[in-house]
Amino acid sequence: MKLTIVFSGTQQIKDPDNKGGSTAIIPAPHMLPKAPDSTIPGKNTTLSIPGSSDRFSTSAMMERIPSRWPRPVWHAPWKNYRVISGHLGWVRSIAFEPGNEWFCTGSADRTIKIWDLASGTLKLTLTGHIEQIRGLAVSQRHTYLFSAGDDKQVKCWDLEQNKVIRSYHGHLSGVYCLALHPTIDILLTGGRDSVCRVWDIRTKAHVAALTGHDNTVCSVFARPTDPQVVTGSHDSTIKFWDLVAGRTMCTLTHHKKSVRAMALHPKEKSFASASADNIKKFSLPKGEFLHNMLSQQKTIINAMAVNEDGVLATAGDNGSMWFWDWKSGHNFQQDQTIVQPGSLESEACIYALSYDVSGSRLVTCEADKTIKMWKEDLTATPESHPVNFKPPKDIRRY
Amino acid sequence: MASLKEMLPAPKAAASTFYDHSSDPWFKERYGGESAQSAAAAKPAGPAKTVPPYGKRGGFVPRRPEDFGDGGAFPEIHVAQYPLGMGRRDDKGGSKILALTVDAQGSVAFDAVVKQGENASKIIYSKHSDLVPKIATADSEATEDEEYQKQIEETTERTKSALEKVVNVRLSAAQPKNVPTHDSESKFIKYKPSQQSAAFNSGAKERIIRMSEMAVDPLEPPKFKHKRVPRGSGSPPVPVMHSPPRPVTVKDQQDWKIPPCISNWKNPKGYTIPLDKRLAADGRGLQEVQINDNFAKLSEALYVAEQKAREAVQMRSKVQRELMLKEKERKEQELRALAQKARMERTGVPPAPAGVPSGGGRGAADDRDEDMDLEQPREQRRETREEREARIERDRIREERRRERERERRLEARDAAMGKKSKLTRDRDRDVSEKIALGMASTGGAKGGEVMYDQRLFNQDKGMDSGFATDDQYNIYSKGLFTAQPTLSTLYRPKKDGDSDVYGDADEQLEKVMKTDRFKPDKGFSGASERPGKRERPVEFDKQEENDPFGLDQFLTEVKKGKKAVEKIGGGGTMKASGGSSMRDDYEGGGSGRSRINFERGR
Repeated sequence: MKLTIVFSGTQQIKDPDNKGGSTAIIPAPHMLPKAPDSTIPGKNTTLSIPGSSDRFSTSAMMERIPSRWPRPVWHAPWKNYRVISGHLGWVRSIAFEPGNEWFCTGSADRTIKIWDLASGTLKLTLTGHIEQIRGLAVSQRHTYLFSAGDDKQVKCWDLEQNKVIRSYHGHLSGVYCLALHPTIDILLTGGRDSVCRVWDIRTKAHVAALTGHDNTVCSVFARPTDPQVVTGSHDSTIKFWDLVAGRTMCTLTHHKKSVRAMALHPKEKSFASASADNIKKFSLPKGEFLHNMLSQQKTIINAMAVNEDGVLATAGDNGSMWFWDWKSGHNFQQDQTIVQPGSLESEACIYALSYDVSGSRLVTCEADKTIKMWKEDLTATPESHPVNFKPPKDIRRY
Repeated sequence: MASLKEMLPAPKAAASTFYDHSSDPWFKERYGGESAQSAAAAKPAGPAKTVPPYGKRGGFVPRRPEDFGDGGAFPEIHVAQYPLGMGRRDDKGGSKILALTVDAQGSVAFDAVVKQGENASKIIYSKHSDLVPKIATADSEATEDEEYQKQIEETTERTKSALEKVVNVRLSAAQPKNVPTHDSESKFIKYKPSQQSAAFNSGAKERIIRMSEMAVDPLEPPKFKHKRVPRGSGSPPVPVMHSPPRPVTVKDQQDWKIPPCISNWKNPKGYTIPLDKRLAADGRGLQEVQINDNFAKLSEALYVAEQKAREAVQMRSKVQRELMLKEKERKEQELRALAQKARMERTGVPPAPAGVPSGGGRGAADDRDEDMDLEQPREQRRETREEREARIERDRIREERRRERERERRLEARDAAMGKKSKLTRDRDRDVSEKIALGMASTGGAKGGEVMYDQRLFNQDKGMDSGFATDDQYNIYSKGLFTAQPTLSTLYRPKKDGDSDVYGDADEQLEKVMKTDRFKPDKGFSGASERPGKRERPVEFDKQEENDPFGLDQFLTEVKKGKKAVEKIGGGGTMKASGGSSMRDDYEGGGSGRSRINFERGR
């Protein structure tokens, strides 16, 4: 996949290997500083593109820039249809099983509970951790469940016997995030020792320690191709890692605050990263910055998830949940969780959220010890819930 | 002369003992080059071979190594010279200066600084264009799917194999059979040095080295100190792609101001903190104190009740006073009647007409005048004069006395109101400390003439003795404060044979005391019915004649009370009289059943 970046004036970098890559990136309108307007038309003529590649003409892009911003796709609003309470502490992590029958949640009460997705009833409680469980993952290829907690333990549970069969020892401090590699039997964990550790699942061996971050690694995800590991950290950087060499491939320093959540689009080759200042979209594999989301949620964003329809859901520390259209970055719904009766107002805080495998149900894990399930409101229509979208004239990029 | 050589014995070592320089490659280069040069064609620049002598090096610039001849650089020629190629810094030493590069469009690559070194292999974003928002359009993953899948597979394979290697190394290192064992036997190594001649190694072509493990003293402490070395700097810095953090507004700064913690419990450094700071974090100002209305209601109700009570009391007292007055009047009347009757009996003459009734306050000893207007007014007239005079006299006396007493009371009251107290009154009201101050309460010292010493001066080493008292023993003072009690002087002190004549001497008096009849143990009261025997119990009651022929009352009370064995438990004591119901032991059978003590009216 070849990417070309076309600018509206100053430079053009031609990708030498471009053999007609069909993916092109259009610059957003009016992002230049206002001064050298006169030079732009002059430079335009030099940027005429040979017809071999599929890039966009600069003249088109210069003329009507605001309308170049893609219009958001209409999505139905999401509503909360079920509240499950059963945990005795904050619910910190969630994972779905590949068959979409059940999901498991890890909590501050040191248990992992497995719930039936269709009915919301509790199926099983697993105990074994001695501290909060911060990360959960269900393996796609084996009947294993992986959990990681503040007690530096990373455990592998066999779901046929419902017990721990492996423990991965090596973290020096609490483990905050966990991810499974899609194709290789590798487990990635990141924690407070600012290192992302790579474990071989079968042999429990510590394969590599990806060092480079300065602060806690709080989010990680894995991809089948390079960069195979992407980590976000409290030092506000995102690093791409070369798994074979164990080195950083790229560091993205676009964020100002810690990157607590990242979401990889299931189909597109891009991912979004969320921090308290902004939610930014980047492309893969090079990690080029695409754009910010068009609104600012102005809260610490703890969790983020995107489904195949392009609905991005972000959950904040103050209980606010915003829904965005992936493509355009337009926020079409803002919601606030209601704490369950008996909880304080300050306990409105969402720690984790995840779509189910189909992408039609969203499950959030909250600080008032409940699990809330959301689905699209099917009675809504584009007329009843219109999209009020104004293309951004002056896009903030900082 | 024979040469020295012949005289000396033949040398043992055949070869020459000094190094044959002729075979040295360096010399071959230098001197062998001459021969090679003579064989080869002469160089075109003739004068270049020979170095111009000193003084004649005007335009001479040595650039090639052969320009220098045998020697080094020429100091008088101000050109960078590198004799024998020495001193030229081409790529050696790691120059810190980056060459200024220009990319294809002709713009200077300013991010060469960032992209050098380790960062050369990484993706670094350093341009403004990397900050500019863009849209990724028309992702055609569909067409790339096969490609993409292939890529995925290839990556997977590559990564897997690499990771497998790492894992295997780690696993095998952990397995016991892979641990390198120490061979205690020595190893022999054959070593062939590169420089072989008769000079080295005594002409031997190879050496054999025996390598053996040195014996390690197991009790030896570590030889080397492991110093902590600071971590090498990480990867070179990456350009920051965001604006510097916004300056904090004043409001934000104020919002995040956290006051220092002043604990209500601990103060380890012993700071003196003003009270308002101590209570600052109490949250007093945050809550409004709500006082219930009922408090006001209560106080009002109390006030009202007090008023009412006062009124009621006043009214009651008034009524009572009136009643008392009436009673008094009645009594007075009665007494007058009695007195009159008595007088009548005495004199046998109908009494004189009633005089003015005297006001109350006169004692019963005074004669009372009757105010019997009712009886015998004729007889009254006869006695009127005498009686009247007597009466008038008595009245006058009464009046005088009354006036005197009133006057006394008035004076006293006036004095008290003014604050003047008589001596007796004053002394009665004085506090003991005032008495001491005035010297009225003597502590015995003045009387005895002894000086009072502070007892703390004596017995300084009380020591063990002093502590052996119980807690409540009050042993601070050995004797009372006031030795001279007023009672002592007022109490009776038997005099020595005071009036033996009058009262009889001591023996007589003693007999009298001994034989006195006053303190008989079982002496009954005069007028009370004499008991036949001794008193059996402290209080004895008379048996009452009851009007209960059938014993119903008794039956009922018996039933009510019930004869339980428990009740007899306390019955053996001597104190039988219980306040409410008193039951006598021997009277259970036919007790009166009355629950109150009936007192008989004495005559």
